[in-house]
Amino acid sequence: MKRFLPFAFPVILLLVWEAAARSGLWSPLLFPPLEKIGRELVLFFSKPESLLEAWVTLYRALGGFALAAMVGILVGMLMGRSKLVAGLLDPLFSGTYAVPKLALFPIFIFVFGIGSLSKVALVFLECLYPIVIMSYHGARSVNRVLLWSAQNMGASRGETLRRVVIPASAPYIFAGFRVAVPVAMIVVVITEMVSSADGLGYLVSYSLSSLRTDRMLAVVVAIALLGYLLDKAVVVARDRLIYWEKLDTYYV
Amino acid sequence: MGLARSGLFLSILLVWQLLSLRGLPAYVLSPLEIVRHFAAALGSAELYEHAGASLARSLPGFAIGTFFGALLGLAAGVARWFDRLLSPAVFLTYPVPKIVMLPIFMLWFGIGDLSKVLIIALACFYPVFINAYYGVKATPAILVWSALNMGARRDAIFRRVVVPSAAPMIFAGMRVALALSFIVMFAAEMINARSGLGHLIREAENSLRFDLMYVSLLAVAILGYVGDRLVRFAQRRLLAWQEQPG
Repeated sequence: MKRFLPFAFPVILLLVWEAAARSGLWSPLLFPPLEKIGRELVLFFSKPESLLEAWVTLYRALGGFALAAMVGILVGMLMGRSKLVAGLLDPLFSGTYAVPKLALFPIFIFVFGIGSLSKVALVFLECLYPIVIMSYHGARSVNRVLLWSAQNMGASRGETLRRVVIPASAPYIFAGFRVAVPVAMIVVVITEMVSSADGLGYLVSYSLSSLRTDRMLAVVVAIALLGYLLDKAVVVARDRLIYWEKLDTYYV
Repeated sequence: MGLARSGLFLSILLVWQLLSLRGLPAYVLSPLEIVRHFAAALGSAELYEHAGASLARSLPGFAIGTFFGALLGLAAGVARWFDRLLSPAVFLTYPVPKIVMLPIFMLWFGIGDLSKVLIIALACFYPVFINAYYGVKATPAILVWSALNMGARRDAIFRRVVVPSAAPMIFAGMRVALALSFIVMFAAEMINARSGLGHLIREAENSLRFDLMYVSLLAVAILGYVGDRLVRFAQRRLLAWQEQPG
């Protein structure tokens, strides 16, 4: 009985959905039957065009994320190891942290054009915050004894950074990554829904405006799957790289 | 000291202003121009109407999402069977961008404010749930044992030990949720709305009113900033006993 409990909730949800679809109380547009959504999903994964759209979304999300990771770790490390840099940048980041960067998107369209670049730039900006903040925390929380030992044994500044500070703050950096990956997906999908001619977000709004809600729901499932897989990839990478410290979470 | 801390910010503004003397593209306004347009907009009713419409969506959504997130997160942290029932579904769907549900919500609940409030509530639910859940899990067992030892009943332990110990985590989740509520609100209004700051910025974009674009941008930035400060203020007041993070 206990083993099946985790499946109870999704199964009930699917049953309620199917019941709503078959009851005839609502238009099939509102609750398309599961079988139709499933067929659209199979169609989605078998058509090269739709896989291409998924690829467009993926490279926008990953491109912005990768840029943010590179710049963010660098900035976070500098802030954590230098009082001067932290004093300069910390007010900037904590002051604008709660500001929705998405509001910059219309201006980004004018600056970077309506193609992929404005979207990648926005993903970069939104992902930068969690990564910088978490790397900063990580670099600051390095055990002082480890630093002293390294210096005592004659490690140079570069060696200390590479062999002590970065490994010690890696768990924090990955915690930042796990916040940033869903953010990247959110931003890409939103910007594609607002203004785009390709990508999964565009496919969602296009299917809706052509009243193909079954197709729209299939794309939503595909986006959900993509978000889930990206998060899984971060967790797997984390467990491989940071083998000395287990992720102390119950699930995931 | 405060001036020194914001030194970089001020110097960026200064460089920006100086660059504008040499001429910037039409879509980049200088800081002084933005301030001038913003001051002018503050004098008219339009900005308040749109900001009010935005807040009327984001605040109820934030409140609903936070309430259910904290409630269910605490419950899942405390009760094993509820944890087994709900948590896998929540953790599984956590990395999914909730905004993709907006079109579906629009079909179900109409294109009015209800669908937007609910999508914001959905987005806010997740961080608060997860933080409340881990907050409960991270309650030091020794505190619970001491309370048990001193004869506290289960509900007293929950109220006096578990909830206070999870509270800092819940507040951290609320800060994330607040930032998310503004993002989702803005996105929903950009996608489909007749009012609100997101709608205003879209309208300004379509009619190439760059001044209006910067005014709504600045307005939403101020709202986000003030909201974050309010949550932090509430945390400091309510959790005065707790060591404050820097």
